[in-house]
Amino acid sequence: MPKTLKRDLFPYLLLLPAIVITLVIVAWPLVETIRLSFTDASLKPTENYIGFANYEKIFSRRFPEVIARTFYWMALSVALKMLVGTFGAVLLNSAVPGRTLARILVIPPWVIPIAIGVFIWGWMYNGQFGMISGLLQRFEIIGGPLEFLAYRETAFLATIITDVWIGTPMVTIFVLAAMQAVPGDLYEAAWVDGAGRGYRFRRITLPLILPAIATMSLLSAIWTFNSFDIIWILTEGGPRGGTTTMIIDTYKTAISRFKYGEGAARAVMIVCILTAFSGAYFYLISRFAKKGA
Amino acid sequence: MLKNILLGTAVLAGLSTAALAEDTRIHMINCGDNNGDGIKLQDQLIADWEKANPGFKVDVEFVPWGQCQEKSTTLASAGSPPAVAYMGSRTLKQLAANDLIIPVSMSDAEKATYAAPILATVTANGEQWGLPRAFSTKAYYWSKDLFKAAGLDPETPPKTWDEMYEAAKAIKEKTDADGVGLVAASFDNTMHQFMNYVYTNGGEVINADGEIVFNSPNNVEAMAFYGKLATVSQPGPIAYDRGKLYPLFNEGKIGMFISGPWERKKLTGDWGVAPIPVGPKGTPGTLLITDSLAVFKGSGVEAQALDLAKLLTNPENQMAFELAEGYTPLRDMPEVKGLVAKDATWSAFLDAIPTGGPEPFVTDYVALQDIINEAIQGVVLGEVDAVAAVEEAAERLEDAK
Repeated sequence: MPKTLKRDLFPYLLLLPAIVITLVIVAWPLVETIRLSFTDASLKPTENYIGFANYEKIFSRRFPEVIARTFYWMALSVALKMLVGTFGAVLLNSAVPGRTLARILVIPPWVIPIAIGVFIWGWMYNGQFGMISGLLQRFEIIGGPLEFLAYRETAFLATIITDVWIGTPMVTIFVLAAMQAVPGDLYEAAWVDGAGRGYRFRRITLPLILPAIATMSLLSAIWTFNSFDIIWILTEGGPRGGTTTMIIDTYKTAISRFKYGEGAARAVMIVCILTAFSGAYFYLISRFAKKGA
Repeated sequence: MLKNILLGTAVLAGLSTAALAEDTRIHMINCGDNNGDGIKLQDQLIADWEKANPGFKVDVEFVPWGQCQEKSTTLASAGSPPAVAYMGSRTLKQLAANDLIIPVSMSDAEKATYAAPILATVTANGEQWGLPRAFSTKAYYWSKDLFKAAGLDPETPPKTWDEMYEAAKAIKEKTDADGVGLVAASFDNTMHQFMNYVYTNGGEVINADGEIVFNSPNNVEAMAFYGKLATVSQPGPIAYDRGKLYPLFNEGKIGMFISGPWERKKLTGDWGVAPIPVGPKGTPGTLLITDSLAVFKGSGVEAQALDLAKLLTNPENQMAFELAEGYTPLRDMPEVKGLVAKDATWSAFLDAIPTGGPEPFVTDYVALQDIINEAIQGVVLGEVDAVAAVEEAAERLEDAK
């Protein structure tokens, strides 16, 4: 074998284990899921190919409503996370006493195991024994116990608040890192020119951290769209489907009801939507990289 | 080099000999934990069975209730079934329809040991698909303290739905407590609770011919009554499954609730237990729930697994297990009379057996449960009326039967 060919092939040889592992762990299940989505696979030992029947079925039932709810849930949650997270980053970036302690305290929601954090929130939402209902009653905002997870609207908001609580620290840290990368001399020059705090934030900080915010928003959208554990632990998609998102619906169909074919069709739809998000993410990254260059 | 090869060969030979001598494993999945007194008896019986069947070893795996049935079913559908597993009898028809379990082939003498309604909980297409292992009926618990505080006779429990509602209303209006503990969570026992009202009003979900009859006038009344109870229940019944009611009862926050015999050990204060009040079209009734040992197909040890399951559930061993665990006895044996003599609160649960009805036996149980629960939640939330809820559910249930 010519020496140059050997040299050219060597990097691929090194990549081979990673490629094989990726094919086995990612590609094969994906292909298998797509295949299953065209079958009537269930608990039965045999399965038949049924064309697009599973896709037709999901659109003929309540799935469009579930898709709309998923986007609404994601949009609201991501918007709140970005807003609260960015605000938190601005505060932590300010020269205020106790800043280091505050930076440490912002982390726990992110590092506490999700299941434990969500169970704690579940108790807080309890009407009879929970803290939130208790406080609201004490301040006479509500007349009696309020079960937050018992009504569609309050349960929907409760799952979002919990998701925001868990997801915000990541946003804060990410945006804080971007803020600290802004060169200090820009602020000094603006200060010398008489620019106030608000002006400096609008004209210097915000434009320079915008790529980080955009990137974080997209990443957060992908994670939030696929968020399962928070909703499942708090409401299992109830009451009356009020918190059923696509991932919950897919789990219920494929795992609880053993309709693997129908569940796979729903999973394929999720993959398509998340692929679009990922495409947007890579496009943004490349755009920012070009601008940076 | 030669030394290494010889050593390697010796190790391999040793391993293969060990493998040859290894017992055939019988994988048994048990729901819940391994702390109950009945489990100790079960362990002893399994040890005895292993002695009588050399070459077989039983591996008992305890899986929490929430994941237990799903795990056994998923293992079976993936081609590596447990040999025998503890399953809710409601799942047996689905497992049988998908060829995942074997019939347990009971002799007439064996069948005769069970009351007919109990046998019905494991029978589909004329065959029995599981050996009943645990059993429960439900009854009505009331707080004598709250009845007194509301000006009601604490020694006279309501006998009809109307009386039950009036008592709950009196408690809600005249005390700080709520009238009744009601459940409507997205959980299996919401449907179970509702079925108590279906059976005390002469209703059914699916009839003997396999037709969905959920939209019967009897069930509309049951659904409407459930919605009516929500007006005198604790706030937000959708946040509650049955397990969350007894703490409310003990705290004096609810005046009454319906549940199984296990609550008797947990309740505090002055309380009573009686048959479930009867609806306008009904006679006494209750939901009969059994859990069974099911023998899965494809484990390679089906005969041994069935033999073991029959040993564990034969009249003598089953009764000992039930007494140790505090379960409702499955069979009417002499020990049962002793139970009532010792503790009169048993009678509300035992007397209900002959008039009880089984869980609906369908091929997609989870769908059935979700559909009925959604109907209940719709009525409890006031989003739909009882007629519409029952009609919609009946239509959707066609896909689940």
